[in-house]
Amino acid sequence: MTKRTINIILSSVGVLGFVALLWWMNTDPTREFTVNLEGADNRGEGNAFVQEVNIGEHFEEYASDYKELSETWTNFRGADYDNISKSPVKLLDKFPAEGPKILWSVELGEGHSGAAIYKGLAYVMDYDEEERADKLRCFSLIDGKEQWSRGYDVTVKRNHGMSRTIPAITEDYIVTIGPKCHVMCLDRETGDFRWGLDIVKEYGTEIPFWYTGQCPIIDNGVAILAAGGSEMMLAVDCATGEKLWETPNPHGWQMSHSSIVPFTFGGRKMYVYSAIGGMLGVAADGPDAGSVLWETNTWNHSVVAPSPVCLPDGKIFMTAGYGAGSMVLQLSESGGKFSIAPIDEYSPKDGLACEQQTPIYWNGFLFGILPKDGGALRNQLVCVNPADTKKVVWSSGKETRFGLGPFFMADNKLFILNDDGTLTIARPSTKEYIQLDQVKVIEDAHDAWAPFALADGYLLMRDSKTMVCIDLNI
Amino acid sequence: MKEKNKAQSRRKFIQNGMRASLLLSLGVVSASALRRVTTDDYVWQIDPFKCAQCGRCATECVMSPSAVKCVHAYDLCGYCDLCGGYLKPDANARSTAAENQLCPTAAIERRFIEEPYFEYHIVEDLCIGCAKCVAGCTSFGNGSLHLQIMHHICVNCNECSIARVCPSDAISRVPASQAYRVKGSWTIRHRLKDK
Repeated sequence: MTKRTINIILSSVGVLGFVALLWWMNTDPTREFTVNLEGADNRGEGNAFVQEVNIGEHFEEYASDYKELSETWTNFRGADYDNISKSPVKLLDKFPAEGPKILWSVELGEGHSGAAIYKGLAYVMDYDEEERADKLRCFSLIDGKEQWSRGYDVTVKRNHGMSRTIPAITEDYIVTIGPKCHVMCLDRETGDFRWGLDIVKEYGTEIPFWYTGQCPIIDNGVAILAAGGSEMMLAVDCATGEKLWETPNPHGWQMSHSSIVPFTFGGRKMYVYSAIGGMLGVAADGPDAGSVLWETNTWNHSVVAPSPVCLPDGKIFMTAGYGAGSMVLQLSESGGKFSIAPIDEYSPKDGLACEQQTPIYWNGFLFGILPKDGGALRNQLVCVNPADTKKVVWSSGKETRFGLGPFFMADNKLFILNDDGTLTIARPSTKEYIQLDQVKVIEDAHDAWAPFALADGYLLMRDSKTMVCIDLNI
Repeated sequence: MKEKNKAQSRRKFIQNGMRASLLLSLGVVSASALRRVTTDDYVWQIDPFKCAQCGRCATECVMSPSAVKCVHAYDLCGYCDLCGGYLKPDANARSTAAENQLCPTAAIERRFIEEPYFEYHIVEDLCIGCAKCVAGCTSFGNGSLHLQIMHHICVNCNECSIARVCPSDAISRVPASQAYRVKGSWTIRHRLKDK
């Protein structure tokens, strides 16, 4: 091979190499990729349409005869916010062979709103699709005879149910929140309108997915509401409708499906709320009422339905669905200053977690039903020690699974409702799962998720369209 | 004259023979067609109620990408803004931006219909059958997204490689005349049969 040939070959290789390098440097291997940017779905911004609503405009009276009883179930999770009835009334632990004694049933608009009970009257939020109106409906607890309803026109489309909140009731007042954050305060017995508040209009709040799930509370005649808009929380005097205080919302946290829980710790009474964005405790009394005592953004998930479970030692157990799992936080107080820090966080398959319902704290243990993504124990009722909520003390077993329905305690019994309207009675225990009875209460039931209400031995429960009253008295 | 008759007879014989052959061929073809129509062959299909969304359909199928695709039962869908099948858990925003999408190949299109409804559509060419969306939809939604073996892609192996590794025995042979087990109308039949 001549020197000239070698030079030609080397030059050719050099040129080819240079061309290849140039091609490599100028070729974008991702040139055929499609860039996925936001906005491809053509969604709008915020609340697309805010309707002018005349809260409390409609009232209809149907009857005024009802049997006055003595007991109450005044709000979501009962008067003590623990979902444990303190009633001395003895309840069935096994249903008769012919099935549960259903006193009455009523068809409701599609939803998950539970009832509150006050001395023989049951109150439930309902959406009337024909009239396109939110209504608070009042029934006689014993026979289901409707007494009156008060509501207002508002357009709500079906979206996995419409009404999903429970009224708060005292001797004098009822406070409700509708699907689109309309707050209505009425006279408890007569249904007379006292005042209304459009939270979306007033605070620019974004209505939560599938509509409002926050249940209002009344504390010493003051309605406490989470706005999750330009202000975080507010207190309204039930008698006058006057706003007593508002808590600023500098972080822009939003309204969740969770509800405010009163809690006393370190010598201070506070309102604990899990917003979308973070969690906070607001001073409930004193000269600084309405101010933030503590806050944390370590607990931040896009959907939060369960409420905080505040334990006596300052631990706060938070859980949520949609893959969020749970977090245990420790609240501390020193010299009147509060601080909070997460001490554990895990996915739903690794310990106690709930998707919609709030766990129950009883005899030093926590009880809850794991969600569908809860691993091998999915959909089972589990018991854990708050010291280690990842260590399951017992579970109901793979043959006894539940859904997203409610569970609560009364007369030393645990009542659990399955999505399909099957009611289970179990004996609460920190050692093992003890099932007493199980019966189908609502035929062809669907999404029986609304919390229970119990007073004088009468249990109110519902699926997405039907509410029933069962006599549990022995 | 005699020779002519003989020639005609031969021609006639050949003509008749051809006619008979054509008739026979037509008969054979018709019989084959009839047999094909009336004989119920079997194909592989996934029972969506048994599927555990393990992800092996994407990796074990002999076809690349897999012959298993996600299908959407629109009549079961909740048309949610927060769709567990479309968005990653705790996504930064409910938007179509890539970082919020659960699907690794962006095979789900999301369209705003009207407040508060969104429609989700599967782009079959992009779907790899990984079942991430199915798991999300089953855990947090109505379970309207589910997997099916697409028979225009499936080569109907005698030993389906994904059926062999399916941990929940969700894949079985079904009559070719009922080749799909799509939720919705099939669900109703399935449940009626169970009753």
